[in-house]
Amino acid sequence: MQVVAEGAAEYFPVDPDGFRAYVRDNKNRALTSKLMSARDAVSRFVADGDYLVYDCNYFQRGPSTLLREIIRQEKRDLWICGKFSYVDVGLLVGAGCATKADCGFFWPGAAIDNAIREGRLQVYEYSNVVMTLRLQAGAMGLPFLPVRSFGGTDGFEYSGAKLVEDPFTGKPITLVPALNPDVAVIHVQQADVYGNARVFGTGIAHEESAMASKKVIISAEEIIDTEEIRRDPGRTSIPYYVVDAVVHAPFGAWPGNCGGYYGSDTPAVIETFAAIARDAVGEYVAKYVTPFEDDQQMFDSLIGQERLERLRANETIKDGYTA
Amino acid sequence: MASEVIERLRPAKGTKATSFNEREMQICTVARMVEDGKTYWVAGGGSPMYAVLLAIKLYAPGAQYITEDGVIAPEPMLPFEPVMTMVSSRAGYRALAWGTMNTAGNHAQLGLMDYGILNTLQVDQYGNINSTAIGEYNAGARRFGGPGGADSIAALCWRTILMTDQEKRKFVERVDFISSPGFLDGSEGARERAGLPSGTGPYGVVTPWAMYDYTAERRLRLVAVAPWVTVEQVLAECQYPPIVADDVATLEGPTEEELNILRTELDPRGQNTAERSAWIVYDGETYTRADG
Repeated sequence: MQVVAEGAAEYFPVDPDGFRAYVRDNKNRALTSKLMSARDAVSRFVADGDYLVYDCNYFQRGPSTLLREIIRQEKRDLWICGKFSYVDVGLLVGAGCATKADCGFFWPGAAIDNAIREGRLQVYEYSNVVMTLRLQAGAMGLPFLPVRSFGGTDGFEYSGAKLVEDPFTGKPITLVPALNPDVAVIHVQQADVYGNARVFGTGIAHEESAMASKKVIISAEEIIDTEEIRRDPGRTSIPYYVVDAVVHAPFGAWPGNCGGYYGSDTPAVIETFAAIARDAVGEYVAKYVTPFEDDQQMFDSLIGQERLERLRANETIKDGYTA
Repeated sequence: MASEVIERLRPAKGTKATSFNEREMQICTVARMVEDGKTYWVAGGGSPMYAVLLAIKLYAPGAQYITEDGVIAPEPMLPFEPVMTMVSSRAGYRALAWGTMNTAGNHAQLGLMDYGILNTLQVDQYGNINSTAIGEYNAGARRFGGPGGADSIAALCWRTILMTDQEKRKFVERVDFISSPGFLDGSEGARERAGLPSGTGPYGVVTPWAMYDYTAERRLRLVAVAPWVTVEQVLAECQYPPIVADDVATLEGPTEEELNILRTELDPRGQNTAERSAWIVYDGETYTRADG
């Protein structure tokens, strides 16, 4: 196959056979309870230097509790999948956890610009859908996927994509490298202790991220009985055997929304944006993360039950968000 | 050569409004371009979504929209909380189907999306869009958010309508960085040579002051201006000179009916339409722009 053009950037290594071997040796096919605390899950399954994918983002059914735990445990040198993000990249970079980001979309600001200028952050250019297609390729066990977008952009030059002559049609086609992250962190509405997980509403790439990643941490608003999963198997978005940890995390997407469960906490959303804009992530972390052993303590100390209940009451739409 | 975008532009319904801002003008203009029974891929929230919703209520009841998180044909519960424009229960309310980002991307790749409408930070004469960096990339450029979903919209929808402000710094000869593709270098077949589907690309550009289409040679062409500006004023806010149509049309101002829907049903908090934007006053004969 003739390569017509290729991006010049480093990309996370592609190794489908290595991934298969990892799956063979490490993914537990037995029905075993994986219920644990956020602290244990992040401690056991997020390592310095990992490539990390989060699904959705800090404001929209994202794994916000897990991201705060990653910051609390001072993980370092993460390479993150910065698609469909507002503040996630800024928080992880500003907190010193991440040094590389593949960009689909993430909110800019002083926290990002300063990190790039000071050499604390290297950005690689893609688009949101190109990133979810890279995860799709990873989730299919393939080395790459052809895509009909992305060609001709300047982002292409700063990516791992290649433009080739399609051997079937003879026309030019862009290939993007598969992505098999080291770890995925995904927040869902419901899961059982084994990791059978239900996402209600739309999503970004929760299924692809879970299937494509070596280690998978699920946080869930509710832990439900496996009998309930068996009663309606069509609602299972992620099957247990790719999941390594299940964390019970009520308000795990705070300050974001969680469809059917609670609305967003607008003042806290704006405060997070401001931390990125002002390059004041350190202050944000010192307020919301480091003083506390976990999110439950933080909620008790800073937010309070009344405010959380108000967020629940704000989420009036239930259609489609219950089994 | 006649302009298809002008021929397609519907007459405004209702009584001419006496007071409105330029953002509202831009949204109403785009709303009148919306075709009935067609699909629109738009970002959740923002001017493109409001334009499609206004069209559905007033001009094209069978138009549908899709957002990047795989929401297909919703009847959203407006208004949204700040930034809760996707993966939120209000934005996805009463949709016909829910999917994920690859749902939206794949459906567009299949050819199911007739139009994309994009709000752009910086756009050039070939319709290339920059949302990545202003300045020289890798040399102190100010970083912006990245293409997000716009790259797929611009690459895969059959037609792309761009919305931008009529300002020299935003409407440039060449963008600093091509985040999402227009006609690339403007040469024939440039998109196809880059692997993009044939028959796609920029269709029109709408600013608060003007409307543009593209000639058969993929060159930007000014085809209409707002009633309170001259062609010369518009050209003075282009960094390069577009082709000017032989017969430049005058756009209609918004109507009370359009503004009523926009202000009371779609954006009652003024989150999008009340942003800083010049106000226009109409006395029944003349439109006057209140600068500043």
